[in-house]
Amino acid sequence: MSSAVRRFGKAFLEMPLVVKIALVWLLFIVGAAIYSRLDRIFGQALPLQDPFYQPFLFGEAKPVEGPSGAHWLGTDVLSRDNLSRLLHGSWVSLIVAATVVVFGLVFGGTIGAFVGYTKGKVETLTMATLDVILAFPPLVLLLALVAVYKVRNLTMIALVFGVLGIPTYVRIARASTLSVASREFIQAAEAIGTKRMAILFREIIPNIMPALFAYALINAGFVIVVEGTLSYLGLSVQIPEPTWGNMINEGRRDIRQTILPIFWPGLFLTLSVVSLNLVGDWLQQRVAVRSSAL
Amino acid sequence: MKSSWLKIIASFFAIALIAAACGGSDSDSGSSDTASSSDTETATTEAAEEEVIESGTEAEGDVDTEVEEVVEESNYGGDLIIGLEAEATGLRPWEDACSAPCLTMVGAVFDTVVMLRTDGTIGPWLATDWSSNEDFTEWTFNLVEGVTFHNGKSFTAQTLVDMFPMQQVGASAAGIVTAAGLTEVVAVDDTTVKYVLGSSHSAFPSFLVQTPLGAAFDAEAATADFDGYSMNPIGTGAFMMDKRDLDNETIVVRNPDYWMSDSDGNQLPYLDSVTFRPIPDEGTRLDSLLSGTTNAMQTLRQGTIRDARSSKEDGADITLLEFQGNNVGGGMYNLNNPPLDDVRVRTGLTRMNNQEAVIEALGGTGISLPGTQWFSPDSAFYSEKVAAAWPSFNYDAGKGLIYDYINDPERSDGREVGENIEVELSCPPDPTLIAAIQVIEQLWSSTGMIDVNVTNYDQQTHIGYALGAPPDFMGSHGAHCWRWSSNNDPSTELNRQMAPHTLGVAAAYGLDGIFTPTNFFNWFDIEVFGWLVAAIGTENFEERYALYEMVMMRIARDVPMWYSGHTATMLAIDSNLAGVNGWVLPDGTFGGQGWSTPQLNQAFWTN
Repeated sequence: MSSAVRRFGKAFLEMPLVVKIALVWLLFIVGAAIYSRLDRIFGQALPLQDPFYQPFLFGEAKPVEGPSGAHWLGTDVLSRDNLSRLLHGSWVSLIVAATVVVFGLVFGGTIGAFVGYTKGKVETLTMATLDVILAFPPLVLLLALVAVYKVRNLTMIALVFGVLGIPTYVRIARASTLSVASREFIQAAEAIGTKRMAILFREIIPNIMPALFAYALINAGFVIVVEGTLSYLGLSVQIPEPTWGNMINEGRRDIRQTILPIFWPGLFLTLSVVSLNLVGDWLQQRVAVRSSAL
Repeated sequence: MKSSWLKIIASFFAIALIAAACGGSDSDSGSSDTASSSDTETATTEAAEEEVIESGTEAEGDVDTEVEEVVEESNYGGDLIIGLEAEATGLRPWEDACSAPCLTMVGAVFDTVVMLRTDGTIGPWLATDWSSNEDFTEWTFNLVEGVTFHNGKSFTAQTLVDMFPMQQVGASAAGIVTAAGLTEVVAVDDTTVKYVLGSSHSAFPSFLVQTPLGAAFDAEAATADFDGYSMNPIGTGAFMMDKRDLDNETIVVRNPDYWMSDSDGNQLPYLDSVTFRPIPDEGTRLDSLLSGTTNAMQTLRQGTIRDARSSKEDGADITLLEFQGNNVGGGMYNLNNPPLDDVRVRTGLTRMNNQEAVIEALGGTGISLPGTQWFSPDSAFYSEKVAAAWPSFNYDAGKGLIYDYINDPERSDGREVGENIEVELSCPPDPTLIAAIQVIEQLWSSTGMIDVNVTNYDQQTHIGYALGAPPDFMGSHGAHCWRWSSNNDPSTELNRQMAPHTLGVAAAYGLDGIFTPTNFFNWFDIEVFGWLVAAIGTENFEERYALYEMVMMRIARDVPMWYSGHTATMLAIDSNLAGVNGWVLPDGTFGGQGWSTPQLNQAFWTN
């Protein structure tokens, strides 16, 4: 454990400053998302304002107030606290992005490595099936599921994104596997009679995982943007649950009065995506160096 | 778990099949008459508002004086570019659902038989005068002579006769034909037409100010090219179609043979051409006007009206023409869906609806008036008695009613005593409506007695859930955003929405076969139905007023709906443009359609 911490510390020190800042921002977002959930679980026991409460209905505040001691980032059109909503909104973005990454790495990585290593008819059939899934517009699927089930919650959104994200990971894992499988250490393992499954899990998957992980970080940024777009269009999780996208959508009507309800979620969205890209790029460079050294 | 996955996979394949089916069709995608006859609060697609006919009264200004000045100063030439809130799904009067953007285009190309005056009465247009028999079952209209279609064909009584078979089956017109009770159209001679009704209707001419029944089209040309008529409509209107590029721009040019002249005998129209540009985003549409990209724009959003007012105060060279019509927004309760079948729940939810807060969330403070009935205070049918009777905002009283219900052992939703009620609250995903719906959600949820499930579906799905499916059209909605009424005669809206909602209900009251799919509340009251029928059996205003007041009082008692505010609409125009908000009818009286729909045949540039 201490070795892992030491390695992380060393890697962190080697990072360019901008990547360090990006990583800190991402850790902040993850922390904020978890904190906001704990806050909800413990019934506002933590010092965070209720993201749903509209004090103007009860004569306690006015809509669209600027930053103040009570509301650090101001309030929205329904007098709700912007900061609280931003932090709660980060949970949605994070869960959707994490689901895509986990599905991609676990299912996509495994399937891609398997078909890339075993080849044959299974590979042909799998890749053809995935091509069909890749061709299917996720928005149409989402709309249809909503129409069928009359429900649009985080689980459904995350699942749709997760499942539809798998094919891309399969392709990358397969391509990496084809490259790794032709290396001498794999041939050596086969020559001494190591079982194919053992080679797959001990030799191939560990070697393709860094490349997949680097892609996953960049992909997570993309997914956050797509989720934000869906939210903006009113197609992601149901209001009044805050998301960065639906906060932008709700704020745009009053953009002539104040830009703050749009500015904050826009800033969080942008910083998060840029941070994921920066960290992903940095990781990719390290992976490339490591691969060339193999 | 396995079952859930199977459902998802099944859905996936179902979608693929639907997509394949849709992809294979090349037919026109016009809305059904039932769906299109509805009207929701977003008003961004045509289907929602086909029959909310659209007349508004001017909130400010003296229309008559302005029109007289306008006519004196008028001059010819110039082009006009109008920013519309959406593209029209089609321009076939009998077939395509039509709301404000579509009506603006249709009004340029087609004339109607009669026209709404600014005071809400019916004035002449293609018909010079009209009369009915004693029991209002036969209406005879004398038509103006010398009117020709854009293709040179003459407009006569036979034109209206030839239109009728298409209107009987048209997706847009069929429901209106039924609502009007129209059974036959007869050409007495070239300039006299007789409409024969199956039952009395003292306000029948009201149907002829509207697109589906009133707009004159060339039935022969329409039959020859049913789909193409939408892209190249042929009417008798002041402008002829020049170019129709869907979702980009539609250009109409001056009809040199237009039949109308102004009061000085100058032939209309004054403008050389009009370009319609659909700009769905409210802010962009206003910016387009302010930057001079367009010369006029329409809106039905209070927030945009507020922004336009603000821009004008900041010095923008624009004129704002605002209308506060009879159309009222809010929502409805589906009485087939417990606990909404219980009047305590409906009244309780309504009493917790803080209308002022909802209007503020809509951006309409100082713009929209809170609604208490289908008629705005400007309407001749407005009733103070109803306003006083309406269950207005009283949070504690509302909570008390819900408390009574949930502690009633006989509660209709089958839940345990003391258990919360569950209500689905749904609106289309428009930013303005999203804000409004969250206000209501918060008010209801804060009681701790109501589990509110907020949903948003696109406009068509929203309407579809309210409409339901054949044969019963019961709808699966709960508390559903909607809006009602128009400046037209009350009968055109009320009669078709408050008839029996199923054939079974009709039979139970001895009204075999009388059934409407547009009774979205699934609320039927035999007394209300009787009053509505009586109101179209007389043309005495006092009698009609009393009958509609009784209907509104019953609505205030049974509460099948809640109100937010009356729909404010606006035309914002270049200050050098005149004549779009008030115009002269052939008899010298003044017309004013409102509902953010400009009349273009008397519009002109002042410089």
